[in-house]
Amino acid sequence: MKPKSAKQTKLVNNIIVHVVLAVLAAVWVFPVLWVIMTSFRAEKGSYVSTFFPKAFTLDNYAKLFTDTTLLNFPKMFMNTLIIAVCSCLLSTFLLLSVSYCLSRMRFRMRKPYMNMAMILGLFPGFMSMIAVYFILKAVGLTEGSLIRVALILCYSGGAAIGFQVAKGFFDTTPYAIDEAAMLDGCTRWQIFTKITLPLSKPIVIYTVLTSFIGPWVDFIFAKVICRANADQYTVAIGLWRMLEKEYIDNWYTCFAAGAVLISIPIALLFLKLQKYYVNGTSGAVKG
Amino acid sequence: MKHRPTRFAALLLAALLLLGITGCGGGAADSESIRLMVWSASEDQAKDSGEWLQTCCAAFAAQHPEWNLTFVYGVADEATAASTVSQDPEASADVFLYANDNLTVLTDAKALAKIGGKYADEVRSFTSEALVDSVTLDGYLYGVPFTTNTWYMYYDKRVFSEEDVQSLDAMLEKGVVSFPFTNSWYLPAFYFGNGCTLFGDGTQEELGADFGGENAVEVTDFLVDLIGNPNFVVDADGSGMAGLRDGSISAIFTGSWDSASIKEILGDNMGVAALPTYSLNGQEKQMYAYAGSKAVGVNSRSENMVAAVELAVYLGSAEAQRLHYDLRSVIPSNTELMEAEDIAADPVVIAQNDTFDRTSKLQPFVSKMSNCWTPVENMGKAIRNGSTTHDNAAEQTVSMNDAMNSDGIS
Repeated sequence: MKPKSAKQTKLVNNIIVHVVLAVLAAVWVFPVLWVIMTSFRAEKGSYVSTFFPKAFTLDNYAKLFTDTTLLNFPKMFMNTLIIAVCSCLLSTFLLLSVSYCLSRMRFRMRKPYMNMAMILGLFPGFMSMIAVYFILKAVGLTEGSLIRVALILCYSGGAAIGFQVAKGFFDTTPYAIDEAAMLDGCTRWQIFTKITLPLSKPIVIYTVLTSFIGPWVDFIFAKVICRANADQYTVAIGLWRMLEKEYIDNWYTCFAAGAVLISIPIALLFLKLQKYYVNGTSGAVKG
Repeated sequence: MKHRPTRFAALLLAALLLLGITGCGGGAADSESIRLMVWSASEDQAKDSGEWLQTCCAAFAAQHPEWNLTFVYGVADEATAASTVSQDPEASADVFLYANDNLTVLTDAKALAKIGGKYADEVRSFTSEALVDSVTLDGYLYGVPFTTNTWYMYYDKRVFSEEDVQSLDAMLEKGVVSFPFTNSWYLPAFYFGNGCTLFGDGTQEELGADFGGENAVEVTDFLVDLIGNPNFVVDADGSGMAGLRDGSISAIFTGSWDSASIKEILGDNMGVAALPTYSLNGQEKQMYAYAGSKAVGVNSRSENMVAAVELAVYLGSAEAQRLHYDLRSVIPSNTELMEAEDIAADPVVIAQNDTFDRTSKLQPFVSKMSNCWTPVENMGKAIRNGSTTHDNAAEQTVSMNDAMNSDGIS
């Protein structure tokens, strides 16, 4: 028997690897594909016996935006967008500022603060949920459109705890750059905004992304704080309601359409910022 | 110098506390103007379904010129109202609609006002006794019932005759029947049929569940055979409705919430009936559904108790029930209203009332009831999966009963 040539072995290996990858990719994409197909499905109801819909339609999307008396999806979408954008800006600012201070300044509470943040970070956020609700109620933020403010505070209030990644990134920027700027007469704020941030684009992008997605997909805090105020519902609560027994038969395909719609902003953000995201955990100063 | 940060923190704390206190106590009410917060399902408030709640509240305000009423509406359907209200009764609606199986959730949170005196008499005058009992705890009335809440059978008239639907066995010979076998709100129907009980008459918590005797084992054996019948299909995740839609299934078990969808599928061929009997060892046994009610409740923390109770009684009155039926087909419970010609002729109303009167058991609302759901669901799943068979039916039934009577997670 003739031994296989190197070329042949490589071919066989490649085939095996690609088949395995294709299977894995199919498994991974399958649920996403299914949701997208369901969102275009013309047959009603929550259960179908075929994988591919028998007929396709855009009505599910139209219904989401026109049939607003029962579940006002456009309003929920706007609520969520406002909350997510505001808390994204606020928490990005908080988180980057805290990280910068901890990286560049030396003060007495620095170490204790970092230890405390580390320990607090070990507890899941929703443990404090009921307490947070009663504090917000005492301050009067649980009624009407103030609920939005309450939710923004909830989502961005804890931002300063998650400084570790950004601080680590800032640490890699040589302090000599800061000193050079100081010699030229920069204040701390100017160093932060004019030098450190431009050098740290990847981590800024990473922070923006994560702090947008948090409030965008959150269900549990929104549910506890919104309670019966239907006009303040976020998309997550709206989608959950569509699956309740009274709605599921009529709203199931719309639920899928809603799920596709809320993934669009995130997908766009990711596509646009992908290259920074990948760079997010590597060093700052290159060349 | 050293104390400055502490002093500053103390000042900040004081300012926060002050803010909190003023936030709580603001807005003393004018003696004449009354603000009532009312919660109900979003369908009750949607323009497309006629704004039942707003219409009723406006009518109520017109009846009471002595009060300057303002209403604040919120969305909480009957099934979830109890958990939302008990989370924080103080910041919840004065008047809300709830399902009676959550009664103890609300009373444990001390969130439900007792209705007494002339109001209780008025409620009793237009409500059947069984329905009054469904919202009565320790002799106190806790709400104004406005509809019954149970499940029954929808079938295709082209497949089954009115005689067939009396008996499950006759139906299984003629067509495909789908039953939510793995849902513990439905499965006990067979066990109740053979004399199993939950908490005695439903209120005797100390008696516990009796789902483990010889009679229960017989039912488990019967269910193992039933699942093997090719004409018997398990309804899960909406498969029953889908089968009805594509014609592969001819009868399903569900409640009034699906009646509009089924009407759309079957049109004039839609038949509705109370639960059938099934034959066990040669004897006909009746299936029994869990039955409950939906009621209007009043928050015990309401600042305007008189107005709140009056509104609750109005929302449960014949007039409001009539409107609810016309706008949303919510089945009325008012005894006089039930005799109205169009209501008395509605097949869904007939079936639901027939089920409530004849083929249902009042769903117990004692606290221990919460231990009973998962074991029954697991039994349904085990039979479907084939892990419970004739060989181990006795053993499995007893362990289900043990789990139903146990408080712990075991």
